Amino acid sequence: MSPYLLQAEGVTIQGEGVTIAPFSCSLEAGGRLTLLGETGSGKSLIAQSIMGTLPRGLAARGRLVIDGEAFDAADATSRRALWGHRLALLPQEPWHALDPTMRSVSQVAESHRHVAGRDRRAALQAAWADLAELGLVDAGSKLPGELSGGMAQRVAFAAACAGGAPIVIADEPTKGLDAPRRDAVVELLARTPEAGGALLTITHDIDVARRLGGEVVILRQGQVVERGPAQQVLTHPQSEYGQRLLAAEPSRWPRPQPLGERQAPVVSTRGLAKARGGRELFRDLSLAVSPGEIVGVVGPSGCGKSTLGDMLLGVTRADDGEIHRAPGHPLGFQKLYQDPPTAFSPHWRLARLLDDLVRRHRLDRAAIAPLMARLGLDENLLGRRPGEISGGELQRFAILRVLLLEPCFLFADEPTSRLDPITQRQTLELLVELARERHCGVMLVSHDPALIERICDKRISLGGATSVKKRERELDPALA
Amino acid sequence: MKALALTPVRRWTLPTLNGRQRLGATLLALLLAFAWLVPWLFDADPARQQLTRILQLPSLAEPLGTDHLGRSLLARLAAAIQLSFGMALLSVTTAAVPGVLFGVIAGWRGGWLDRVLGSLADACLALPGLLLVLLLVAIAPGNFWALYVGISLVLWIEYFRVVRARTRVLVASPQLEASRLLGFGPFYLFRRHLWPELAPQVLTLAAFGAASAILAMAALGFVSVGLRPPTAELGLMMIELLPYYHEAPWAMAQPIVVLFVLVLSLNLLAGRDPR
Repeated sequence: MSPYLLQAEGVTIQGEGVTIAPFSCSLEAGGRLTLLGETGSGKSLIAQSIMGTLPRGLAARGRLVIDGEAFDAADATSRRALWGHRLALLPQEPWHALDPTMRSVSQVAESHRHVAGRDRRAALQAAWADLAELGLVDAGSKLPGELSGGMAQRVAFAAACAGGAPIVIADEPTKGLDAPRRDAVVELLARTPEAGGALLTITHDIDVARRLGGEVVILRQGQVVERGPAQQVLTHPQSEYGQRLLAAEPSRWPRPQPLGERQAPVVSTRGLAKARGGRELFRDLSLAVSPGEIVGVVGPSGCGKSTLGDMLLGVTRADDGEIHRAPGHPLGFQKLYQDPPTAFSPHWRLARLLDDLVRRHRLDRAAIAPLMARLGLDENLLGRRPGEISGGELQRFAILRVLLLEPCFLFADEPTSRLDPITQRQTLELLVELARERHCGVMLVSHDPALIERICDKRISLGGATSVKKRERELDPALA
Repeated sequence: MKALALTPVRRWTLPTLNGRQRLGATLLALLLAFAWLVPWLFDADPARQQLTRILQLPSLAEPLGTDHLGRSLLARLAAAIQLSFGMALLSVTTAAVPGVLFGVIAGWRGGWLDRVLGSLADACLALPGLLLVLLLVAIAPGNFWALYVGISLVLWIEYFRVVRARTRVLVASPQLEASRLLGFGPFYLFRRHLWPELAPQVLTLAAFGAASAILAMAALGFVSVGLRPPTAELGLMMIELLPYYHEAPWAMAQPIVVLFVLVLSLNLLAGRDPR
């Protein structure tokens, strides 16, 4: 019997223009393997080929040994009997995987009953015990809609692991989470190897890979670019791509060119207050954004970062206080969205959407081509629909769309939180450059404090239910 | 500096249909071809009686035989399909247009307007559909318009409800907010954002609605409160031929088969693959 819990030998995936080069790995009890790579690098497909859940049209080949039993990767149905018992998958954005009409404890108990085969009472007891262990006793009788994102995630984790599977595969478990929640998830995941299981994590977040430790595999376009112990790969990568990936971490970005003299603000507020759902978000908030200035907003989820931006744009009304916008710019207040595809109608080609805009405002068509080149957007993309290009390209197209209107203020609501590090760096660097060049004030929301620290001229932190700390910090190279 | 060719070639492509929908479309096309080609190819009047030639078997002169008054069944069936289909089309259009319009207004504006329109729809729904039609028909017996207004009044609520619910979600979505910030007006927002999302559901409802309008009309004809003889109408033909089913079962069967195929084709057309 091999000492390994999970072994993959020469697994290849082919079909529909996707090719994943032979991939091998071995995970012993207590082992951790992290697949790191950008969107489209095929890291999720590898997990799916192990589970046997590849989308139609893709075929896997190779040999798998799971818990001492050999499987042919091509036979997808053969692993179905292992699901929950020996293989558990924590899906992307697990809170979407919970049944919204079922109380949390029943969802966990369901796994105990139908996967682990306990009787009804024992299953319920086991479910309560699981929840208690994860500090979720209060959440047990709540519906998923009443839980916070982090709590829902722990419930999903409990349900996925209730079958006692020693091998856990986590597919982008931290997508769209803020830093404290992300760390909590990592801690949760680390329990599996600590208990003698094996953990395979798929992520594009270098920080997650670093915290998990173990072995790291960097993937790009279906090829393994680099692999080795996390310590080594994530500090001294050998491959050129690995180096670029690490350089894309916000703390290593070059600082943008400093903002020159501050001009009259494009938007300013005095004594702004807002409450939502009976809870005060902030009070007595005063701020000003100058042309070309990048103002960062940080704070925990639900602290009103997006609401603040919407108030500055005039989309939402303030409860109290006043907002003063620079006159003469009826279309000068624009927004970039967190999830680029949701900001476009998915049914039309980009050329049509751009053409609509040009016609509506009689814009100069000649301005489009150079700006597209500047943003690194290929002309061919115009013939596609929003769902048919990558998130990074679409976000840059969104930037193109708003810049054509020559905005004086841009509210960027976590514009890169769903993009991989390299794309994030490219996108934000462009945004900052263009903002400086075109004298457009930017309010940038991010859940990554390092990022805000690095590129913003000024920082506003919202947080706490009642007390609002607001700190303005001038650009200080000593803090680099 | 070269300017980009932005305007793509306008291409009208047929919506992709699955197997079932294609079958439905074919059946419907055959029926409609029959209904419109027959009066053109055969010189037959659906109302001309020939009492010497009643209940005749299909022959070369009368491909589908004659009814109890010696009228050509071929001509009557063609006229009945024209009437049923035309009526269905008219009711569906008059139900869909206000239904979609009010639905979008209610979902978009919300507030008191939403409540007023919502209660109006509830009030219409509180009366059973058939009763409403019967009521209107009783006020104006045998009148095509009464029938048509009654059926439309029942049908519009479905469109209203579906469109309103969908619009509410879409109006709050980032895509609409983004376009609004970019300075686009309501008509643009409807055309680019709302209609592409609503169209598949509205068209499905329209196909089902057409089927139920045809059935409602035939049912009213069958219980003799719909259109009056000598109009060639499917339900009316059935009830007229019912006394002769023993002597001429083929004659009785014809309107039934046509009604069945007509409704089936529309239901097939409406049924999307659940996957």
